[in-house]
Amino acid sequence: MKDELNQLTQSFKEAVKSVQNSDSLEALRVEFLGRKGRLAELMTGLKDLSVEAKKEVGQLANSVKQELETGFAELEGRVREAEGAMREAAEWIDISAPGTAPDIGHLHITTQAIAEIADIFKEIGFTRVRHPEVEWDWYAFEALNFPGTHPARDDWETFFIADGEKPMVGEKGRMLLTPHTSNGQVREMEKGEFPIRMLNIAKTYRRENDPRHIPMFHQFEGLYIHERASIVELKGVLDFFVKRFFGEDRVVRLRPHHFRFTEPSFEIDISAEHGRESSKMFKDGWHELGGAGMVHPNVIRAAGLDPEKYCGFAFGFGVERVMAMKSGINIDDLRIMYRNDLRFLKQF
Amino acid sequence: MNILASYEWIREYLKIDADARAFANEMSTKSMSVEHIDDVAARFAHIVVGEVLEVLPHPNADKLRIAVTDVGTAVNAGGESVEIVCGGVNLAAGQRVVVALPGARVRWHGEGDLITLGPAKIRGVESCGMICAPEEIGFEKAPCPPGGIWDVTDLIDAPAGTPFADAFGLHETVFDLEVTTNRPDAMSIVGLAREAAAAVGGEFVAPNPPAIVAGSGIDLKVSVENTELCPRYMAVALDGVKVGPSPAWLQKKILLSGHRPINNIVDITNLILHEYGQPMHAFDYDTLEGGEIVVREAKEGEAFVALDGNTYKLEASHLVIADSAKPVAVAGVMGGLGSGVGEKTTRIVFEAANFNEVSVRKTARALNLYSDSQLLFEKGLSPQAPELALRRVVELALQVAGGRVASAVIDCEAESYKPLTFTFDADRARSMIGMHLETKQMLGYLETLGFTIAAIGGEIFSVTVPYWRDKDIEHDIDLVEEVARMYGYGNLPSHLPESAPPRKAIAHDLLIEDALKALFKSAGYTEFYSNSLVSEDQLKKFDLNPDQALQLHNALSSDMTHMRTSLIPSVLTGIEENQRRVESAKIFELSRVYTPRAGDLPTESTEIIVAQFGKVSARAAWLELKGVVEEIGRQYGAAFGFERLSGDEKWHNTRSASVALNGNRVGELGQLATRYQEAFGIESPVFLLQLRLTDFVDQLQLQRVYAPVSELQSITRDISVQLSRETPFAALEPAVKSASTLITQVALLDEYTGAPIPEGQKSVTLSLTIQPTESALTSEAIESILSTATKRLQTEFHATLR
Repeated sequence: MKDELNQLTQSFKEAVKSVQNSDSLEALRVEFLGRKGRLAELMTGLKDLSVEAKKEVGQLANSVKQELETGFAELEGRVREAEGAMREAAEWIDISAPGTAPDIGHLHITTQAIAEIADIFKEIGFTRVRHPEVEWDWYAFEALNFPGTHPARDDWETFFIADGEKPMVGEKGRMLLTPHTSNGQVREMEKGEFPIRMLNIAKTYRRENDPRHIPMFHQFEGLYIHERASIVELKGVLDFFVKRFFGEDRVVRLRPHHFRFTEPSFEIDISAEHGRESSKMFKDGWHELGGAGMVHPNVIRAAGLDPEKYCGFAFGFGVERVMAMKSGINIDDLRIMYRNDLRFLKQF
Repeated sequence: MNILASYEWIREYLKIDADARAFANEMSTKSMSVEHIDDVAARFAHIVVGEVLEVLPHPNADKLRIAVTDVGTAVNAGGESVEIVCGGVNLAAGQRVVVALPGARVRWHGEGDLITLGPAKIRGVESCGMICAPEEIGFEKAPCPPGGIWDVTDLIDAPAGTPFADAFGLHETVFDLEVTTNRPDAMSIVGLAREAAAAVGGEFVAPNPPAIVAGSGIDLKVSVENTELCPRYMAVALDGVKVGPSPAWLQKKILLSGHRPINNIVDITNLILHEYGQPMHAFDYDTLEGGEIVVREAKEGEAFVALDGNTYKLEASHLVIADSAKPVAVAGVMGGLGSGVGEKTTRIVFEAANFNEVSVRKTARALNLYSDSQLLFEKGLSPQAPELALRRVVELALQVAGGRVASAVIDCEAESYKPLTFTFDADRARSMIGMHLETKQMLGYLETLGFTIAAIGGEIFSVTVPYWRDKDIEHDIDLVEEVARMYGYGNLPSHLPESAPPRKAIAHDLLIEDALKALFKSAGYTEFYSNSLVSEDQLKKFDLNPDQALQLHNALSSDMTHMRTSLIPSVLTGIEENQRRVESAKIFELSRVYTPRAGDLPTESTEIIVAQFGKVSARAAWLELKGVVEEIGRQYGAAFGFERLSGDEKWHNTRSASVALNGNRVGELGQLATRYQEAFGIESPVFLLQLRLTDFVDQLQLQRVYAPVSELQSITRDISVQLSRETPFAALEPAVKSASTLITQVALLDEYTGAPIPEGQKSVTLSLTIQPTESALTSEAIESILSTATKRLQTEFHATLR
C-alpha cells in the first residue's frame, strides 16, 4: 500500500505536466482528489489494515494527500492565471476609439455667465433683481439726467415701440426697449428699501447689427445706495468682482469718462491677462470692461429721494463682453450668440 | 471721438519736459485716453529726399520708367546717382521726390501691411528702392494725382540724400486720443495742453493772437435771423489774398492731424479747428451775391450743392448761411461748392460762429452729411470761442496768404455772455472721493483747469466756469469730478463698503428659473436663446396676430420688427435651421414674452418650451416630455394634471394634452400640428412642452419629504394583458392597485399595437411593485395578489391574459 501511495504521488506529478486548461485541471482533480478518485480509493483500503499499519500508512497517506492538494492548488493557480491572461488578450478594446458623449444638455453660455456673475456679487450682498425690458423713456433716459435732445434718445440709436405710424407715448414718455440696464436704478430706488445693493441683469437692445454689435445683448448693473458712498468703495466692489471673476492677478483701473447719470464717471479697465497679448481687445495692456460712476444727484432726485441724504454708485457692464474677455474665446461674429445653432450651443 | 495730437504742437502751449510715454500715461488716467502713440520719424528710416536727374524708358515695360535719381550719399559714399524703377504717371526730371531705400518700411500702393523693401529687380532692371506715392508712406491725404508719386519739389529744399524725416520736420510724437463727447473743448491742441497742465504738470501758455485791426474797402453785411440756432456769428473780410499751396510747415501740421491739405486759406481754417477746437469757414467774397451774409432757416425744398459735389434738398428746419439769393453753406456742417476759396480768389470772408448743437446734429443726420466741423458743433461749443479763433485766422492768413484786412470785424451776438457759477463744497468732495485731500490742493486743480474761485465761507466756494466748459459743467457735482480725476483715481485706495449688507433674498421667480434651467440641462436638453425680436412673418406662420404684439417704431430690419408674444415661433425657426445639422435633438428655451396692455407697459412673463425633434419615437418623446413636467412636480410639490386636448388647431388631435395645476391650465404638451410644422419648413414631427411659468411660479416650492424606507425586500412582478387600444393607463393603474394595499407602484413597462395583436387592441405589460410591510411574503401570497390584479383587469377591461 505504501508503494501504491508513493506511486500515486509519482503518477500525479506526471499527470500534472499534461494539464493545459481548466478542463484537464478538473479531470486531474477528479482522477486524483475526487470523491471517487484514486486517493480516496486507496484510502478505503486503510480500514483493512492492522492498527499498527493503519497508523503508519495513515501518516503516509495524509502526507501524500497534502502533497497532492498543495500541488493541485499550485497548478490551479497557474492554470487560472494563464487562462485569465489569454481571456483578457482576447478581450482587447481599442482605447483610441472616441468616447461616447454622455447625453447631457448644455446651458447657453450667457446663462452660465449670468450665474457666475450673480454668484460673485451675492457674496458682497448684491441681490439679483429683474426690471422691465420694455420701458418708459422716463426710466431709461429722462430720470437718468439725459437731456431731451441727447442722441441716445434719437431714432437711430434706441428702439422705440410703435403706436400705428407714430411712436407709442405714455405719461412717462415714449415706450422703448431698454438700451441699458440702468433703467433699474430709479425703479429700484422707488421701492423705498434702503440701503440698496442691487444687481440687475437683463436683456438690452440697441439699434445696431454687425459682427461686433448685436441688437439684443445683456448687461449687468450694480447699484449701491446708502447715506454715504465713495469712489474708494466703488473701487473696492469692482476690485472684488474683477479678482473673483478674472483672477487674483488682475488689476482694475479707473479712467475718467462721461455718462449722463453718473458724476464722476469712469471707464473701467482691467489689466490684460499675461500671455494673451494678441487678443484684439488688447490695448496697451488693458481691456475696457465698461462704465461706472457715482450716481448723479439728479438721478437720486428723480427717484423722489433727497440727494443730500442719499448717495451711491453704479456700474454697468456687458455680460457677453466680460464672458468673452474671461474665457478668451474669440467669437469673430457675435451674431452667432442668439441664432440657436446647436453646433455652437453644444460647445459650452 | 478721436484726435491726432502732436506732442510738439501741444508743447507750443505747454512748458513741459515729460517724455511722451509718461505724458500719455498720465493723460490716460486723468484726462483723455491715449490709444496709440506714433513715433513719426521712426516710420521714415531709410527714406530720403531724392532728386530725379533723368527719366529713361524701361526696356521691358511700357508703363515703367527708370528714374536716375540723386540720393546724395545715402547709397553711394561717392554720391553717385542710383537707378529706380518707377511707374508714377507724373514722374519728371528735376522733381524732388521721396525715395524709400532698401530697408525702408512702406505700404505698397497704400494697401495691406507694411513691408520692408529689399533690393529688387523689376522686369529685369535693378531698382534701388522706390519713389513713393504719399499713401505708401502714410500720408494718404497729401495732394497727388492718381497713379502719381509724391512731388515734394515745392515743399522741401533740403539737399538730396537728406533723411525725409529731417527734411519735412517729422521728429514728432503724435498721440491718438479718445476725447469723451462732453469735452469738445479738449478735442483740440490748446484744450489738451490745458488739461495736461493740470493732469501732468507744466505751465500752460494761453493762446493770445493779436487783435484784428479793422480795415476798409469791403462793406461786409451780416444778419442773423435765428439767434437761437446761431447765438454768435463773427466775420471779417480780407483783400489781396494770394491763394496757393500751403508752406511745408503748415502742410505737415495738416497731414499729421489727419486732414487734407487743400490750399493755404482752407488749410489755416482746418489748422484752427484742430488747434482751438473752433470750426471756421472761408468764403470767396466775390461769389456772395449782394456782398452779404444772412444766417437763416432754409426754404423748404431749397437745393444746395455742397463742397462734396452732391446736391442736397434742404428742409425748413435746417439752418443755412446764405447770400442775398441762395444758401452758401449748411451752418456748421459744410460749405457750398460755388462759394469756396479757389486759386483765383483774392477777397475772402472768414466766418467764426457758434451754432446750436442739436440743430447741427439733426441737420447732419437728415442730410447724411458729415464733417469735422459738424462733429465738433454737435457736441456743443461755447459762443465765446469764435473771438479768439477769428483773431488767429487773420494772424495766419496774413502770414501765409498776404493781403490785408478790408472790413470791420462783424460780431453778431445774441446776448451778452454770462459765465456759469457753481458751488464747491470741499467737505462733500472729500466724502464722495473717500479720502482726505487738502482744500488748497483741490482748488488748485480747478484753477489750473481755468475755473475761477471765490470763497463763500468755511469749506464752501463759488466757482466760475471758463467759457470753454460752459456746455459740459452743469452741476456742483461736476466740480468734484474735476478734482477727483486730477488727483488721480489710481492714487485712491480701494476697500469694500463697511456698512452691513441689506438682508434681501433673491426673488422667488429668478431662483426657480435658474433651478429649472439646471433641471432641463441635467435631463439632456440644450438651451436655445433667441432674440426677443421676431419678424411679422414668424408670428403669422404660427397664426399669432402681429397686431397683438408690440411693434417697433424704428425697426432695423424686417426680420426684427415685433416683440415676441410666444417662444414657439423662435423655437420652430431654430429647429428648422438645425434639422440638417443634427439627426435629432432635445432643446429648451426659458425666456420672456411680451403681451401688450392698453396704455401701459406690456406684461413681461416667462415661458418655457421643452422640445424634441428629428429622428425620435413619438411615444418616447411624448413620455419623456411628460416626465419633465412630472419631475418639476415632484421637486416642487406641484401635482400637474393632464387632459387630452382635442380640437385645438395648434396641436395634433390625438397626441396632445393640456397641463393644469390646481385647476388652472398652465401649458400644453404634445405634437405640433402638421400645418405649423410645415409652415416653418420642418421635416419631421416636433414634440413640444409649453409652460407659462409666470402663471404658476408662486405655487412651486422646493419639497423635501421623507418617506421611510422598508427593511423588507420589495418584489417586482409583471402582468401582460391584451385589451382595447384606447384603454387609458390612468384607468388600469387604480384597478391594479385596488387588488392589494401592498402594491406600491404600477409601471407601464411596454405597450404594443400591430400584428399579431388584432386591430383595435393593444398588448400591455404592467410591472407591479409589491412592498411587504410586516414580514416577507410567501410565494402563495404573492401569487394571490397577482391573480386578484389580473382578475380585476379581466372583469373591468375585458382583458385577456397573454
